[in-house]
Amino acid sequence: MDRTSVKVVVAGGFGTGKTTLVASVSEIPPLTTEEILTEASLGVDDTTGVEGKTTTTVALDFGRITISPDVVLYLFGTPGQDRFWFMWDELAQGAVGAIVLVDTRRLDSSFPAVDYFERRGIPFVTAVNRFFGECAYTEDEIRGALELDERVPLVWCDARDRESGKLALITLVRHAMARLKVRA
Amino acid sequence: MSSETWDGDDESAAGRFVPLYVLVNGRTAPRDSTLDLATQVVALPVDTRRLEPEYLEIVRRCSGWISVAEIGAYLRLPLAIAKVMVDVLVEQGYLAVGTPAQQKIIDKHLLDQVIAGLERL
Repeated sequence: MDRTSVKVVVAGGFGTGKTTLVASVSEIPPLTTEEILTEASLGVDDTTGVEGKTTTTVALDFGRITISPDVVLYLFGTPGQDRFWFMWDELAQGAVGAIVLVDTRRLDSSFPAVDYFERRGIPFVTAVNRFFGECAYTEDEIRGALELDERVPLVWCDARDRESGKLALITLVRHAMARLKVRA
Repeated sequence: MSSETWDGDDESAAGRFVPLYVLVNGRTAPRDSTLDLATQVVALPVDTRRLEPEYLEIVRRCSGWISVAEIGAYLRLPLAIAKVMVDVLVEQGYLAVGTPAQQKIIDKHLLDQVIAGLERL
């Protein structure tokens, strides 16, 4: 009797469609779990203006996909606020990799996520969310703006569409696998 | 507060309104560091009559495999608390643990399975 969990992180700036993507591929409506943070786990600047506040709550949205009778894939959206880096560490620990959602109206909002996974050597793919309408940029322009390594896959997606979310996930797992082979 | 770990023998008729930090005896991290928020657990067929209601509620949720994150979400427990409580239940033999989502399990065979599973969706 064994049961294996596989984790995938869905990251991106605020409002890039993370929960929408989780909802489109999850077999259950996304669940929310909360973590209570104490001041000590937050950056020094973050409590400015809220002196006396000793704890804060950060919500995590997640979904699940049953892969087989023994394997379940969990998709965790990163907290909306980029400053909760310590939660990112917990989410990324042992994850297959990450999907970084990109909103072309605010390319820079996804930059911290790209930077985070790049620095830690965690496999990730970028998924440009077309939900917001026609994209004004070419793939090269987006890659340039995000300073993406040429080996990092970029997929176009609509976070509301299940097939699109599936494609982003499959691309990520293939990418993670290719990296395993390179290292071996 | 006592630094002893709860041994399951606390028969005192404690009220229902126990602060969460009391329930976990002030522990802030699970003993088993491999317990991840995606790790799944399942109830073992053992006598649960001595469990405190808050712990019993978790065991009841685990009639099928369920992750620590799901337990936290369904029972509205902060993740850190859910993790420690699940860990206590594992330690005392109420729950069995699946393979945690940790670095070492990411092998080619597992990723093959994941891709096949996603393609079937």
